[in-house]
Amino acid sequence: MLKSANDGTLTAQSPPGGPLERWAERHLRYLMLAPTVLILLALTIFPSLYMFYAAVHKISPNPDLPWEFVGPGNFARLLSDAQFHVALRNTVVFTVVAVAVEFLLGLGLALLLDKFIRRLTFLKTVLMIPMMLPPIAVAITWKLIYEPQFGVLNEIMYRLGLPLQAWAGDVNLAMFSIIVADVWQWTPFIFLLMLAGLASLPVEPYEAAALDGASSWRQFWDLTLPFLKPVIAIALLLRVMDALRLFDLVFILTGGGPADRTKVLSLYIYQVAYRFADPGYAAAISLFVLFVTIILSTWFMKRMRLAD
Amino acid sequence: MVRKLFLTLAAAASALAISGAAWADITILVPSGSEGDGLRAAAADYAKMKGTKVETVQAPYANVFEQGANAGATKSGIFDIVLMDDPWIPFFAENGHLEDLTPFFKNAGMEGPDNDFLSKSLAICRNPYNSGPYVCLPYVGNAQMFFYDAAKYKEAGVDAPKTWDDVLKASKTLTEGGGGRYFGYVFRGGQGNPVVADFMPIFWSYGADLFNADRTKVTIDTPEGAAAMKMFMALRDVSPKGVESYNANEVGTALAAGTSASSINWPNWVATFEDPSQSKMVGKISYGPIPAGTKPGSSEIGHWTMGIMSASKNKQEAFDFMLWATSPEQIKISAERGNPPVRASVFTDPELTKQEKFRHYPVLMEAIQASTPRPRHPKWPEIENAFGIELSKAVAGTITPEEALKNAQAAVEQITGLK
Repeated sequence: MLKSANDGTLTAQSPPGGPLERWAERHLRYLMLAPTVLILLALTIFPSLYMFYAAVHKISPNPDLPWEFVGPGNFARLLSDAQFHVALRNTVVFTVVAVAVEFLLGLGLALLLDKFIRRLTFLKTVLMIPMMLPPIAVAITWKLIYEPQFGVLNEIMYRLGLPLQAWAGDVNLAMFSIIVADVWQWTPFIFLLMLAGLASLPVEPYEAAALDGASSWRQFWDLTLPFLKPVIAIALLLRVMDALRLFDLVFILTGGGPADRTKVLSLYIYQVAYRFADPGYAAAISLFVLFVTIILSTWFMKRMRLAD
Repeated sequence: MVRKLFLTLAAAASALAISGAAWADITILVPSGSEGDGLRAAAADYAKMKGTKVETVQAPYANVFEQGANAGATKSGIFDIVLMDDPWIPFFAENGHLEDLTPFFKNAGMEGPDNDFLSKSLAICRNPYNSGPYVCLPYVGNAQMFFYDAAKYKEAGVDAPKTWDDVLKASKTLTEGGGGRYFGYVFRGGQGNPVVADFMPIFWSYGADLFNADRTKVTIDTPEGAAAMKMFMALRDVSPKGVESYNANEVGTALAAGTSASSINWPNWVATFEDPSQSKMVGKISYGPIPAGTKPGSSEIGHWTMGIMSASKNKQEAFDFMLWATSPEQIKISAERGNPPVRASVFTDPELTKQEKFRHYPVLMEAIQASTPRPRHPKWPEIENAFGIELSKAVAGTITPEEALKNAQAAVEQITGLK
């Protein structure tokens, strides 16, 4: 502690109080950090390390049998596991298509409605409803819509004289049906982010561009998109990370079928851990997903210069 | 002040919720649906009568297995009793999650369950099947039957279907005349347990099975398997579009709404079909044994059984409850609540059999006695999943039936280590 002496100079002085108080004063920064570090250790570091420990063991469902160390054995299984390959392929297809459609629709809607919606708070609230609903409610709603015999979608098809479809039950339409439900739920999220981005755009560059005779398309391409880049990057990053973890829609709508067409990684991890009682292998697949997500996000953030 | 009171109440409520199960004398894990509802009601009666606290935890079908397996693997002792689907018994028993009931019977001065239980109902409660010690007691006597609209079948020229050929003939006629809105047959084609459950009786009725008699060989890809698959595919062609995603609810709804004429189904659906508030088909559905193929038809048994978890701290109390809940009086009450019985005396009780809603009892009793259990293997959930994927692909038409059998053979060989 610094104190002003009678002659005006500053001299160091030990803090007042007992040794405990002095110790606390000296280590204050660590004490302030301790709760955060403890929470991080308990909720993130320990489970992650435990997952890694589980991933290098074969864990029997019999509690009296010891965990058998298998080293990289569970990771090696990933190479030859056909069901894992199917789940990986389906996850990639879902993520790419769903996020791309959500992005294009969200951005398009935001550009179209930007001028009108700022005044229509009610419409904004309505548009937010799908993403405020619990995922399980969304899945059950779409299950009822897609139901082949009594669902509303086939009722419309029937009344229009169109051939009835099995939707989520059809091998060719099952993934499409899951994507449609996801797009319905998450397009508003992109839309709202883009709307917020558009609202914060500076006016002057557009005025200058208009004076220079730039077309609307040119303005969108050279001004709007570059200005929106950070918002777009955040929106895509969040949606990609979420899409890679898709579970609830698939679990309720198709259970991974028909014919494995909608089996995604999260569903497969759940099956391996709880149905086949093989938590060691499930931990290995989870680590793989975590690894891919970290690599993708880091690459993406660097590419979009978000880290800066 | 109000805020403080609210926070105190919230904390107390959370503590109660977390430790609620631990306060009970007996905690039972049951599935949702009529089976679990029946045992819950019985547990409430028992608690009232004995003055004990009986807690029931209800979960969807697959979660019962997961929660039970998790409690067993962690030796948590959170559940004293688990109401299990019978194919889970080898997994629970062979991984040390279930208590051997022999000493409890001895303490009670009994050699084992009495002879009023149907022999097939008792056989599944022993591990190994029909020879080992009792690890559970049967509670709900499920076995598949053949459900059909007799009037529609008659219109299609089949009086009472005795064989799968009869079923196919009637179904073809009905579907062809249904204009895409009415179908002769419907089944659970959903990937995994649903499609396997509805294929197994057909598989068995053509003389096929998953393993040979001494369980040393996988026998899916055989001429018998191919014959069963051929019939299964023919039945698919006369079923509604989208049947590859159907589970019990879709099949039940199709029958209750009168949009499909026949299916393999479980007896606990009878109550729904005979309830005017849920069914358009009250009194119109006939219940028969599983049709024959090249061999006599055989139902898949799907009993719900009660076992004591090894980590339970209230084993004697749990056994006393199980003995009481499976007594003839209680099984009769359970039957009246809509669950099929497991005792001969209840199946033949005139008070029940004279009622229209129990008219399927003679057929069901016969079906249980002629039933076959799903292969008793501790890795059954994994085997069922692999077989179910290939069957689902065949039903969806993404691979040929021959490929499905070949792939399923290879997958089950890999899981079991058998050739």
